[in-house]
Amino acid sequence: MDPECSRLLPALCAVLVDPRQPVADDTCLEKLLDWFKTVTEAGPSLLLLQENPCLVELLFRVLKAHDPRPRVLSFSLRLAGLFAAQEDCFQYLQVTPSSSVSQQGELLPMLFGESGPLGGAAWTAPTVRSGWLQGLRSLAQHPGALRFLADCGAVDTIFSLQGDSSLFVASAAGQLLVHILALAMRGPAEGHPSPQGCDWPACAQKIVCHVEDSLRSTATPQVTQALNVLTTTFGHCHSPWTQGLWVRLSPLVACLLEKDPIPASHSLVDLLLSVARSPVGSSDCGLWETLAQTLSHLSPTQAGPLALGILKLQDCPQALKTQAFGVLLQPLACVLKAAAQAPGPPGFPEGATGDSITVDTFLSSKSACVGLLCQALAHLELLQLLPQRPSPWPQAPLLRAAVAILRFCHGSAAPTSDVGGHLCAVLAGCVRVQRAALDFLGTLSQGTGPQELVTQVFAVLLEYLTSPDSSPMVLKKAFQATLRWLLGSPKAPSCCDLDPHTQLFLGELLPVLRKRLCSPCWEARDSGLEFLTQVTRHWGGQAAFRHALLASEVPELTGQLLRDPESYVRASAVTATGQLSSWGLYATPTGPEHPEVQQESLFTELLHILSTDSEGFPRRAVMHVFTQWLKDGHADVAEDLEQFVARVLQAASQDLDWEVRAQGLELALVFLEQLLGQPGSRCPYAVALPEAAPPATLAQVLQALCRVQLFEFALRALFDCDRPVAQKSCDLLLFLKAKATPCGGPQEAGASPDVVSVEAALQRWQAGEQGQPLGELEPEAVMAVLRSMDLEGLRGMLAKSSDHMEKSPQSLLQDMLATVGVLGENEADCY
Amino acid sequence: MPEIRVTPLGAGQDVGRSCILVSIGGKNVMLDCGMHMGFSDDRRFPDFSYITRNGRLTDFLDCVIISHFHLDHCGALPYFSEMVGYDGPIYMTQPTQAICPILLEDYRKIAVDKKGEANFFTSQMIKDCMKKVVAVHLHQTVQVDDELEIKAYYAGHVLGAAMFQIKVGSESVVYTGDYNMTPDRHLGAAWIDKCRPNLLITESTYATTIRDSKRCRERDFLKKVHETVERGGKVLIPVFALGRAQELCILLETFWERMDLKAPIYFSTGLTEKANHYYKLFIPWTNQKIRKTFVQRNMFEFKHIKAFDRAFADSPGPMVIMPGYCVQGTVGHKILSGQRKLEMEGRQVVITPTLPPPALWNPCWAAGVMQVEYMSFSAHADARASCSCGQAEPENVLLVHGEAKKMSFLKQKIEQNSVGKPRRGRACEGGFSRACADRARHLAEALSTPPRGQLLYAANGETVTLSTSPSIPVGISLGLLKREMAQGMWAGHAGWGGAAAGQVAPQTAPAPAPAPASQGYSRMPRSPGSCRHPIMKDSNFRLVSSEQALKELGLAEHQLRFTCRVHLHDTRKEQETALRVYSHLKSVLKDHCVQHLPDGSVTVESILIQAAAHSEDPSTKVLLVSWTYQDEELGSYLTSLLKKGLPQAS
Repeated sequence: MDPECSRLLPALCAVLVDPRQPVADDTCLEKLLDWFKTVTEAGPSLLLLQENPCLVELLFRVLKAHDPRPRVLSFSLRLAGLFAAQEDCFQYLQVTPSSSVSQQGELLPMLFGESGPLGGAAWTAPTVRSGWLQGLRSLAQHPGALRFLADCGAVDTIFSLQGDSSLFVASAAGQLLVHILALAMRGPAEGHPSPQGCDWPACAQKIVCHVEDSLRSTATPQVTQALNVLTTTFGHCHSPWTQGLWVRLSPLVACLLEKDPIPASHSLVDLLLSVARSPVGSSDCGLWETLAQTLSHLSPTQAGPLALGILKLQDCPQALKTQAFGVLLQPLACVLKAAAQAPGPPGFPEGATGDSITVDTFLSSKSACVGLLCQALAHLELLQLLPQRPSPWPQAPLLRAAVAILRFCHGSAAPTSDVGGHLCAVLAGCVRVQRAALDFLGTLSQGTGPQELVTQVFAVLLEYLTSPDSSPMVLKKAFQATLRWLLGSPKAPSCCDLDPHTQLFLGELLPVLRKRLCSPCWEARDSGLEFLTQVTRHWGGQAAFRHALLASEVPELTGQLLRDPESYVRASAVTATGQLSSWGLYATPTGPEHPEVQQESLFTELLHILSTDSEGFPRRAVMHVFTQWLKDGHADVAEDLEQFVARVLQAASQDLDWEVRAQGLELALVFLEQLLGQPGSRCPYAVALPEAAPPATLAQVLQALCRVQLFEFALRALFDCDRPVAQKSCDLLLFLKAKATPCGGPQEAGASPDVVSVEAALQRWQAGEQGQPLGELEPEAVMAVLRSMDLEGLRGMLAKSSDHMEKSPQSLLQDMLATVGVLGENEADCY
Repeated sequence: MPEIRVTPLGAGQDVGRSCILVSIGGKNVMLDCGMHMGFSDDRRFPDFSYITRNGRLTDFLDCVIISHFHLDHCGALPYFSEMVGYDGPIYMTQPTQAICPILLEDYRKIAVDKKGEANFFTSQMIKDCMKKVVAVHLHQTVQVDDELEIKAYYAGHVLGAAMFQIKVGSESVVYTGDYNMTPDRHLGAAWIDKCRPNLLITESTYATTIRDSKRCRERDFLKKVHETVERGGKVLIPVFALGRAQELCILLETFWERMDLKAPIYFSTGLTEKANHYYKLFIPWTNQKIRKTFVQRNMFEFKHIKAFDRAFADSPGPMVIMPGYCVQGTVGHKILSGQRKLEMEGRQVVITPTLPPPALWNPCWAAGVMQVEYMSFSAHADARASCSCGQAEPENVLLVHGEAKKMSFLKQKIEQNSVGKPRRGRACEGGFSRACADRARHLAEALSTPPRGQLLYAANGETVTLSTSPSIPVGISLGLLKREMAQGMWAGHAGWGGAAAGQVAPQTAPAPAPAPASQGYSRMPRSPGSCRHPIMKDSNFRLVSSEQALKELGLAEHQLRFTCRVHLHDTRKEQETALRVYSHLKSVLKDHCVQHLPDGSVTVESILIQAAAHSEDPSTKVLLVSWTYQDEELGSYLTSLLKKGLPQAS
């Protein structure tokens, strides 16, 4: 421990036990524990206690306090647990009496035994119960701890805490039981103990018996607790003894399935999946039967998560997978049945035909119907993305079902049955189902479908994009799904252009997009612009798309949105126009035949935004566009590269937003790389090339850098008050230094450069006087200054967070001590 | 028994990371989603794993409600929606929606820029999160779904802060968020109507505190600033809470104008400047004075206060006024606790001399040149005001956003008060000072309408469960009601089964259906699921659902159908006419379900069409059309369509 901390510790301990002193907020005690944890993990705890007797004293005093403050008591319990995690320290705390306190006794039993806080008034505070559990959790690391737990009767208390009114306490109790069970089964018991448990350690035997009793209980909370303990056990412990445990307990778990209704079904599903994922699952054939049985016993809503879990398993009988898939498909099969105009199989695999139980759920209540549909859609969406998804994947019926659901929600479906009529009534305008169905439909774009169905998909998407009833969130999802379907649509075989159906759809889509860009709702305008950016990024080179887009008013509208009142929209408009312009699609009255005119005007407009917009988002977006233009070697940028870089850097350097300045350095780095080459080969097999630039080139490059005032920008940024800016600048200058150094500087050829003015400016900037300009720079002088600077050291310093001083343990102790006596009325003051 | 369950995940018995889960009438609502300013690791956000273990977040939660834009109430929102994966609706008022992203961006800046955190939410995530927001107006009842509705009330505290009523059926909860019952220089006082919720969840930051007069504090503040400026000194006021900055700006601006002072006032060009833009916009949310005068002058258009440039900064001093509490681990905390040696960002070390005890709140800083003052300008309800939320007349009250010990003390006092007058002069209870005890007594006395039920508090993670007796509307004929009341059957709800024997709100039916001789029965309402009916059998009253009542009484639901006769000139047989009608309607009504039934009739949705021969004219067929009133529009349309005749068969 740091000597200064060691010096401060006795005073702090005295404050903590003094009931007259208000305790600093909970966060201080939490941070103090964090620090003790790192200290005890780094070295022997026993030594720590011996060198700092005030710590043991603290524990004794808190324990003996007449009316201990709950948060200090909780802290002490957790602290004692941290110390006792090491066996020698545990023994020390077991037997060591206090040196100066009149009361004596064994510390740990007093803290965690029945005579401790357990019986006191403070026990009513959840923080004390939680501290007690966490202390034991830390302590239970060695065989001695097991004996201790047995002797002090802690396990029974943990059992009772499983049903605590606090979620946190109850959860911690369950986890502690699992931890103790695993600890007990470690060592001599490890191996293949008999399921009967005659050779199990007493502590493990006790816990398992408790779990058995709980599983037999008629009270659902107790069953839930037992199931949760087992779920964590099988999830975390993969030793052979868990097989014995399952053999012993599986009959009791199976008994739960015979009850009606099945108790704690959610926890039961978790347990079965946890077992199935563990090594136990692969060795127990009975498990698959239990899973199959559970699938058929649970209600459709309860069975969904289990079905998905089964389908995610690697090794699982095909029949079970088929059954599980059937469960997931049931709700959609019902929808298809309800929406079918003509009778006929919906095309789902056998077992998913829209059974009566699912229909009953649909009809029982609106929330049940909506819940089941949303769950099924979400599960199938997840499944679709998995490599182990069922094969063959019923793409066509799934598409039909998704379209039908969206039509029900939109009110455009014609029901042919009672269920259909009910669905129509329940789903009409249901945003929750719309969101889920659109997400699912978007995911289905990864597969293909018959053209007739794809046409229906586009039709329903268009309905949603057009509908005035679509909420902003639904609209966003509709745009996202449309994008996925458009980009996933096949290309025409003859060339790489878009197929006729897509072209047709584009013709209908662009007027809708145009309308949405004029929406009074900013979310709609923004989603439209995001869609436009993405679709242009992928299709900017497709003739059909270009033609359709230029024929629409969308590019002009996008340009107008650069002056939108909402800054998010302006930022999206900047990105969109940047993308359009990259493809020569930023339309002006001059048309595409005079790109240079448009480019200049857009560049000027974006530069204007960069210099004047009051919000950071549009300015950041401009910098991203400019960097991308530079990277892509945009023809109009390349025309006068230096002029472009100089103007952009000048605007960025004056920006108040650190991200704009950081992005300015990113652009500067791209420029530098274009002049000097990449910072280093990233391919380990690439032929090593000389990394330094040849001197002649370097001299020219340095001149160019001076002309665009990159040096001034980067050196000023080196002392920027925002760390990421300084870090980026440091990286950039280090790169430049590395490129220049091996070849020797140009100064070697001539007289020593005048570095005085540069160094003076740097000192001023470092002192915070950022207003001073640097004036004309000589490349040689800059390079000489760079060589003399400890940039690596600076980089190391910048890597630390700005509050690293305040976060240090010493600072924490000082703060806690400093607040003594000054915590008054302001302690509860807040925002 | 129906119940309301409340579990604070944060701010149960502390301040920061406000996040309260409410389960009411089968709906789950999250109230606020804040961060804790004292932590920079996982603990800064509520532990959402306790929700995700219930399955998919979006399936479990019906909505999230944000009370106001302070980060301890909304700072975890982008993390929750974009990183944990909540995809459902988020409700907040319009000013909160406008200002929230500014604060979230600022929070992101501190985390990413200053502290170098890599795995933090991005600007894009903030935007995507804000797109999920649904703005609500004050006093507007927003229907989250068919059953869940919410309503916002003015809360004062900061611009756009709102209290929310969450209602499912007849059960309701009111969440105050942070609120202020005292109007300040730019906001009005919180107000809520007598909505009588089952539970009021209220903040209790100053539960046992009655603060000094605000006027005195303001006068003191201005005096100190003025004296320092007059001496040629500078005053630095690091205001960390948005809202409080605007309040102080108005205070200074007014004072400068009144005293005709020339010294410049600057505010930092960051958060405050951005937020001021919205303060100028949302004038209707401010207090009456600002609303009245804004046509002549918008109070947020400051004349004397200018934007501050970092370049103006040189040496500090000689006075720093801290208008609020600072959390441990910050420079502000160190200054407030009177530490003498400070190192900031590894660049500056400021040594202060040995000083009088910092408890005096007057330590000099920097060789006696600089003074530090702590002056609370917090915009929270104090003890007197906490009780004023009694105007909602809640059945039960749950205290949050405060300290456990103070809550317990408060509870004790209020319970004493509700039993009888508190004993005067009793002090130093529960380790509290006499002053504190007096304050709590004052509070208890001020609570004009103590809760009828319980006053509760719960630690983070603890669940409070309240059993409720929801009001169930009952349809009953007036005659039966009068008769049974006369017999005293209603007084004790004798013989009623189920949990519904609570509050009964009798509905008098305008047109009661004739009741069977020995059974009481009323007209069927339109939505049977939402209403119960008393039935009397064997001299016993029972409350049952409409469906059950029909079943037990052996009755069928009344159906009202409109009918119409349409004459068609058609010499064919009735079956053929019906077939022609079917083909015609099928071709015209593509979006409707048209069916030809085996008995020869044709249906379009609920509309039934049958063809019959004319009794006098064999060349004329009569189409008998009937429809339910739900399909009245379609029925009328069909009738007019059929009256035009059928197309000639090809």
